[in-house]
Amino acid sequence: MVHITKSFASCIFAVGICLSLSLSNCSAQTSTDITSHANELNGTSFTAHVYEQCDITVPSSVAFNVGDISDPTPAVTAVSLTVTNIVTSSASRVVRVSVKAASSQFTPSVSGASTWSAGAVTWDAGTSWSGATGQSGTLSQSSYKPVAIGQADAAAFSTSTLHFTLAANTNVKRSGNYVLALTWKVECMDGGEGGGG
Amino acid sequence: MNLCLKTISALAVALVLICPVKSQALKFHSDMNSIKIEAQPGQVVTRAYHLTLDKGEKKTQFKAHLEDWWRSEDGKQSFYRPAGSIKHSCASWITLNPAEAAIGPGETLTVRISTVVPADIKSGGYWCALTVDEVADPLKTAPQGVGVVFTASVSVGIFISITPVDRNAKILQLSGNGTDTELKVVNEGNCPLGIEGRIEFYAPSDTTKPIATVKLARTTVLPEPINTIIITAPLPETAQLPNGKYLVRAVLDIGLTHYIGAQKTMDIVHGTSGIQPEAGKGR
Repeated sequence: MVHITKSFASCIFAVGICLSLSLSNCSAQTSTDITSHANELNGTSFTAHVYEQCDITVPSSVAFNVGDISDPTPAVTAVSLTVTNIVTSSASRVVRVSVKAASSQFTPSVSGASTWSAGAVTWDAGTSWSGATGQSGTLSQSSYKPVAIGQADAAAFSTSTLHFTLAANTNVKRSGNYVLALTWKVECMDGGEGGGG
Repeated sequence: MNLCLKTISALAVALVLICPVKSQALKFHSDMNSIKIEAQPGQVVTRAYHLTLDKGEKKTQFKAHLEDWWRSEDGKQSFYRPAGSIKHSCASWITLNPAEAAIGPGETLTVRISTVVPADIKSGGYWCALTVDEVADPLKTAPQGVGVVFTASVSVGIFISITPVDRNAKILQLSGNGTDTELKVVNEGNCPLGIEGRIEFYAPSDTTKPIATVKLARTTVLPEPINTIIITAPLPETAQLPNGKYLVRAVLDIGLTHYIGAQKTMDIVHGTSGIQPEAGKGR
């Protein structure tokens, strides 16, 4: 591995050479200061402190009309999800969306009856994400599974065609309502020391 | 007239059938700041988090809590576990107020984050996640048949540096395939490291000016429990970087006074399994 001076990185690189020089500017910063000098004559200035932020809209439910338990059932409707007005401290800090089941299985219509596990729910990566990269996945109770990772410097990202599917389950013997709770996690966790802050 | 009414009715029914039923959604505005605190042992620090419910929403209950957080080696998956699961957790230093509250349409929830740094704590980086969960409304109607009911959750990081911290990382591997280049980095220090950087491609005959450069997305590598990260970046287009032999150089900024780097001579063949390191060169 090589250490490179921040000032002369391009001209001193050679295999096996280790160098170090001073860093001009690498202070951590979590938000942006905007200063507007509105009145140059009397020196009055206005400062707006802009926090990292976003607007989030998540759906409230999705239904599966299971007509044949021996076949996978797509959700009745595609799911829409939007994250807008994204403000971050640098272009490369991104917002992520992931999902986790609140329990290991659907609550069956009749207590004790066979039911679907949380892992029976899958989703596709989706080709229609704008401003984000979609990830396909299988629902889990043990950990959050990624659904979308915002693209660098995206001001917004969204989809209106996220498709959930419920797997076939021929062990199910009772008709009625089966319900599972799922949590949408929206996070922007990067924030370690170093880099651009 | 009768025919006209029938036609309108048929169209209305068709529209209802064609248009998907839009399930009610929850809309809110949230701070996404990572809360970064540089402190000394024994210091008391207070910050705040804000969440505002959209004006069109019904009164909604939210619950705030602290948990430990880390990310998978490929950076794609986040893991949340009970506070105290990792050695560098700062969750036990922090109290939240309020821990739970209901807010109405257009109202803002402000959670005060009060941190008391232990007097005998060692220097280094400590972190946890502030998570604010929507509390499921018991009166909310579940979908008929088989359905999944959604709730929302927001997490932001809390990073506390007890100075002086040891920032130290090493590039373990520089490799790739016909579509991407890959870097494996290990955090050998005692604090989370934000990593930014680039990968440069040089003609072997001229290593002073890169033919192409790919900027790496910012990422974080933690000192535990997973202290390595694989950073992937797509290869430049063939027009910019034709198939051939190149000196590939990774340059990373981890917040030190110098960059860290690694380089390797590789045969790049787009669209195959092969960026091939040249035998005996690089690391």
